[in-house]
Amino acid sequence: MRLLIVEDEPDLLQSTCLVLREEGYAVDSARDGEAGLYYALNYDYDAIILDVMLPKVDGWKILDRLRREKSTPVLMLTARDQIGDRVRGLDTGADDYVVKPFDFEELSARLRAVIRRHAKQCSNVIQIRDVKIDTGKRLVLKQGKAVELTAREYALIEFLALHRGDVVTRGQLYEHLSDENEDSASNLFNVHVFNIRQKLGAEFIVTRRGHGYCIE
Amino acid sequence: MNFNSIKFQLQLYYGLLLFGVIAGLGAAMFQLASGRMYRQIDAELNQRIRVLAGALNGPPDDPARNPAAHLPPAPGNFHLPPRAETMFGSAANGFYYIITANDGREIARSSNAPTARPKPGAPGERLQEITTPTGERILAGRGIGPDLAELHLTLLQLAAVGAGVWMLGLGGGWILVSRTLRPIARISEAAVKISTGDLAQRINAAETKSELGQLAGVLNSMFARLEAAFAQQRRFSADAAHELRTPVSVLIAQTRAALRKRRSYEENLQTIEACHRAAQRMRKLIVSLLQLARLDAGQEKIRRADFDLALVVDECAELLEPLAAERGVKIILELAPVTISGDAAQIGQVITNLLANALQYNRAEGEVRVNLRAENNFAVLKVADTGQGIARADLPHIFDRFYRADESRSSGNAGLGLAISQAIVSLHGGSIAVSSEAGKGATFEVGLPLAGPRLHPDKASAADPTSGSIRRL
Repeated sequence: MRLLIVEDEPDLLQSTCLVLREEGYAVDSARDGEAGLYYALNYDYDAIILDVMLPKVDGWKILDRLRREKSTPVLMLTARDQIGDRVRGLDTGADDYVVKPFDFEELSARLRAVIRRHAKQCSNVIQIRDVKIDTGKRLVLKQGKAVELTAREYALIEFLALHRGDVVTRGQLYEHLSDENEDSASNLFNVHVFNIRQKLGAEFIVTRRGHGYCIE
Repeated sequence: MNFNSIKFQLQLYYGLLLFGVIAGLGAAMFQLASGRMYRQIDAELNQRIRVLAGALNGPPDDPARNPAAHLPPAPGNFHLPPRAETMFGSAANGFYYIITANDGREIARSSNAPTARPKPGAPGERLQEITTPTGERILAGRGIGPDLAELHLTLLQLAAVGAGVWMLGLGGGWILVSRTLRPIARISEAAVKISTGDLAQRINAAETKSELGQLAGVLNSMFARLEAAFAQQRRFSADAAHELRTPVSVLIAQTRAALRKRRSYEENLQTIEACHRAAQRMRKLIVSLLQLARLDAGQEKIRRADFDLALVVDECAELLEPLAAERGVKIILELAPVTISGDAAQIGQVITNLLANALQYNRAEGEVRVNLRAENNFAVLKVADTGQGIARADLPHIFDRFYRADESRSSGNAGLGLAISQAIVSLHGGSIAVSSEAGKGATFEVGLPLAGPRLHPDKASAADPTSGSIRRL
């Protein structure tokens, strides 16, 4: 899952990016509204965490512009918790609203919920035949037994599972599962797919020649 | 019944007054009536006495009468002319007479005269008596018992009517007073409701008469001021809490991230530094807030002394040189020596604030021009920058608390500097104003009263700190 975080307070941005990366997200960041808007419009993110008070272009404007073109899930971050602001945020098109100071647990959970809803999933648990994927606990169970996966492998499984039925191209995988901080050597998706098939069964991920991968 | 109430007191005094008026009127009427009665009786008595006196002297043509040798008539010898007889008797309203000779022998009496000769001043009788030149005493009188009884009755009637009128008056007065005072009770009720409940409500002044309408108006404007003051308080508290959210978020985020797993020394060091930065921000904010609160409450002490403002400006400019160099901005000072009276440290804070803002909101290669001179008994300080200026929409709000033209917080500025500066300048009896054109920079102008010539010239240069609380401006 690839995230964009737009927040002008550098110390806050830094720790939030760190934590989310450690949770397995690929994270892009922007420190002002102008850059944030640019990234949001030109790249496909799985979710955007957007601060309201930003220099140059504020969060409301970014949200408004974004919503004309994309339905990327947006979590608004703000220090304002008046009812008016919450309502405005949700009405303008935000999917959720987190008030500072926030706990990372809460931010993570809301992020998962927002992504889940966007993928039209009802719960954190995705059942694919005899494989159970718990996106909350970041666990995969095959026939009830936990399966050892690397972070990259899990990320790939989660992404494909959330887009179950769709063919996901290599390009999309690259966009959604790696951020600017990674070196390309670790992005050899065929290697990951191979390893996953070893662990979960060859028919778990289907290859569509010339197009991409898919979980059916 | 509340004995202190206006209603009761009004009624009491009005009742007494009315009673006095009615009693007075009644007494006067009674006097008139009784006076007339007595005068009438006295006149009739007088008439009868003359008749009697005439009869005593005898008819002028009586041959038996010898004026030369006057003898008192003998008893039985006294005769009244017939027509005079009709003046006396019980049929004639009870008039009687008794005539005695000078030796006390009774000469004549009317048939209805009392047995014992009444003495003057006898109650129940009205008397008149004369003594003739020859020594006879003629007494005419009349029993006035029935007359007195009638007077008495008149008096009672007057009293009854008076009492009735008085009660009517009291009743009418009560109604009038109640009606007049009712709006006051209404206003008082409304005021209680508003002050204990919703300060946004107002007393309905339309339904009160003019003087009370004024009272309602005054109360309403007082409520409006209270409401505004409370709203400002609430806003201030909310803004203050709000400002603290961001540095607290940093603390929580940084420490939480650091604690999630074992981190390297360098990472932990970075976390500590980030926390320190956030803590510094909070400290600055708290100090500013406390200062503002003290200024608001009039508790900020000014250590007054006379000093040269130019020296303070110089010092502040020097302190800010590093920032100026960093921003690539030049500070130009055009200072004339000017002596003002005040707290040098606080004024220094104001100047530093203005200079720092001017440096901050400036462009590279720009300049900050500081001009100080005396004008009309005021020290006038102008700080002009060549930055982007202030939008017209922002100009009226620029001294508001927590107001920042650029809404983000990353510059680390909480928006209190100008509010504090304004408060300090006001406390010193001065004024601060801003003018700006978007794109052409902003100019802040501070006016401070010059130090008066009251101090002895020798003492003028010595610091004379007199701390004390400042009167509210």
